[in-house]
Amino acid sequence: MHVPDGFLDGKTLAAAGIFSGVGLGAAMWNVRRLSPRRVPLMGLSAAFIFAGQMLNFPVAGGTSGHLIGGVLAAVLLGPSAAVIILTAVLVIQCLLFADGGLLALGANVLNMGIVDSVGGYLVYRAVFRLLPGDRHSARVAAAAFAAWCGAVLASMVCSGELVASGTAKAHVAFPAMVGVHMAIGLGEAAITAIVIATISKTRPELLDERAGADRTGSGGFLVYGLIVAAALGVFVSPFACQWPDGLDHVAKVIGFGHREVERRSVITNYQFPGISNLRVATAVAGLVGTLLAFAVALGLSRVLMRSRAGTVTAGDEPALSGAAP
Amino acid sequence: MSGHHHEGYFDPYSRVESPVHNLPAGVKLFVALGLVVAVVSVPVRLASAATFFPAVGLFLIGVAGMSFVPPSFLLKRLAQMEPVVIGAGLLALFQPGGVRVFVALLLRTTLCLSTMLLLANTTPFPDVLAVLRRLRVPGIFITTLALMYRYLYVLVDESQRMRRARASRTFTRSRRGAWVGAASTLGHLFVRTGDRAERVYHAMCSRGWK
Amino acid sequence: MFAGVEVSLVDVEPAPAPASDATAAFAAIEARGLHFHYSTSDGSIHGINFRIEQGETVGLNGPNGAGKSTLLLHLNGILPESQNARSSGGEVFIFGQRITPKNLYEIRRQVGLLFQDPDDQLFCPTVWEDVAFGPQQFGVSQAEVQRRVKQCLAQVGLTGFEQRSPNRLSGGEKRRVALAGVLACEPQVLVLDEPTSNLDPRGRREFKALLASLPATKIVATHDLELVLEICPRALVIDGGQLVAQGPTAELLADEPLMLAHGLETPASIRR
Repeated sequence: MHVPDGFLDGKTLAAAGIFSGVGLGAAMWNVRRLSPRRVPLMGLSAAFIFAGQMLNFPVAGGTSGHLIGGVLAAVLLGPSAAVIILTAVLVIQCLLFADGGLLALGANVLNMGIVDSVGGYLVYRAVFRLLPGDRHSARVAAAAFAAWCGAVLASMVCSGELVASGTAKAHVAFPAMVGVHMAIGLGEAAITAIVIATISKTRPELLDERAGADRTGSGGFLVYGLIVAAALGVFVSPFACQWPDGLDHVAKVIGFGHREVERRSVITNYQFPGISNLRVATAVAGLVGTLLAFAVALGLSRVLMRSRAGTVTAGDEPALSGAAP
Repeated sequence: MSGHHHEGYFDPYSRVESPVHNLPAGVKLFVALGLVVAVVSVPVRLASAATFFPAVGLFLIGVAGMSFVPPSFLLKRLAQMEPVVIGAGLLALFQPGGVRVFVALLLRTTLCLSTMLLLANTTPFPDVLAVLRRLRVPGIFITTLALMYRYLYVLVDESQRMRRARASRTFTRSRRGAWVGAASTLGHLFVRTGDRAERVYHAMCSRGWK
Repeated sequence: MFAGVEVSLVDVEPAPAPASDATAAFAAIEARGLHFHYSTSDGSIHGINFRIEQGETVGLNGPNGAGKSTLLLHLNGILPESQNARSSGGEVFIFGQRITPKNLYEIRRQVGLLFQDPDDQLFCPTVWEDVAFGPQQFGVSQAEVQRRVKQCLAQVGLTGFEQRSPNRLSGGEKRRVALAGVLACEPQVLVLDEPTSNLDPRGRREFKALLASLPATKIVATHDLELVLEICPRALVIDGGQLVAQGPTAELLADEPLMLAHGLETPASIRR
């Protein structure tokens, strides 16, 4: 999802830049009391996430997707640390590999560093708390679902940015990008689940939240929540209403013909079954996708954590420590 | 959507001797930024397409020539990134006047990509860090970037070794399932990364860091 | 583990130190009753007592898991402040000064530690920054930092490597840069963890010569028994977390039953 330079226009870049700036500022503020012991961990984890992003997995149709790793970072190290780490990864990718634009950094940080990590993390916290049962399995399921949500949310904001810049039309960008990322999100969910499960089995103490790298309080979460909501509000909602209009347009072209289509109809009465059906259909599709992802997340946690009771499954490497004592 | 082509050493040419390499990093960053802003802002019209954009292109080619970075290397890198741009750009086609948008997109993005590639390959990253430090970027961020840059290759190398070791012990015929093993390897890599971070912390403290 | 094996503690009288200097009367390193238990018992140590006089070069040998690294990490105060400790105790004195949480900064000025994996120790993006790191942390002036970096790189034979990235160095070069970084702090005591591991024969030879040329008090933990023979007149043997023997190196290493009992062996050069 690394947006190159040239795809977004000035006003979009400015808005995204402001949002990311505030988010980064909040993140820096939240890690100001970071214990010195955790400082090297930030840098090394950034290298780790970079290595993780190199992982690609097959998505339907012969294409492949890449891990973003925002939710993974947030679950492992805390949301504020994740924001900083993902930003660092994006900066290095931009400056060293020309992967992602220089001006577009603001948008990329917003999409992947904030909406994905923190937005996903908020989902993780909520789901983790609500899920019953063994905390370790619950963590895997919550992280997997949150990873999917994060990817989808990020793709929504990204689409919105493209549309706001006039690069693409809403009825093309949203279904294409969000649709694809609903599939890619499953890969993100699976990989996040596998990584968390592996760590859970070998060194569960690393997942202890009290040992986390940051102390993001409720104030911090409020700020993050506001930024994610603002991003969705600015970039997504103005266009979300247009989806069904776009789909209407397509429907008309294809030949559902005789149904009259009117823009901006607030009254969904049965006089215009075309619109109401399409809006409802979009909403239903989204809901079904989300439920499916949740089911996948639960299934993953069941499969992966089945052997948690001390046994090491075949093919696992032993955790080798560095220096021999 | 993004292309990750970082096998082997990255920025292998950043320390070559050339007039471009010898320019201060701050100057190069500033020029690159200026170019990108200009390319993104100037509207694509007949006039600008005939003058401004070709001028930028020629400038970049000139800089590339003076940098002594092998052109084949630069072109190869550019070619690696273009499919992503084209793929994303396809989204732009589905609208009235889409072809023009697509062409403008391609033009702008290619120019910006080339600028960043040149910047990356003529400026050693530690110099970039020094510039960021002068710009008062917060310490924790600089440290994160510096440590990440230093250990990037170490971790990628470690993960590749682990993956090869695992691959030599498993017998799945399907390559499509390989990513599952890779994900498990990633989990182990995090554990090792955590251990290494602890040792780096000890090493830093041993030499007086507080 | 080795119950039932007679263990002989070979005590050697250290040469009397000159009394002219206030610190000269003190041992460079003295450990009393040192113990440290990890939550997993691997690498724990108990009841360690020893003295290392100023200017000595002493070897530390033992099998894996014996506690060598644990012991070394106590010598500049890295341990016991760790998260993995189940219990810890005992004291370490550097030139007569006890290591406490308050004087760690000072202790680390005097005791330099070379880690087993140079990649853990070379954490800066360039060689210059890494060697300069120590002096900068200890508040040395910029001009002096420059001088020390140049001098220490020359000392390890790596002049001209200032702008290189650690990623592109060979194992031997990394080791030498790490040593330069430690020497730049001008410590009086050097603690070395497996300094010749993963070096090719030439790298090993050069590093050994380098070590022998350093005037600081040295303690060298290593599996390389030939190295111990060549540069350490005295050696300590540690096994199962306890000091099981100490004495003149040649005698200790020639004692085959002792060597075999503790996961070591008599080096070929002195085997009859």
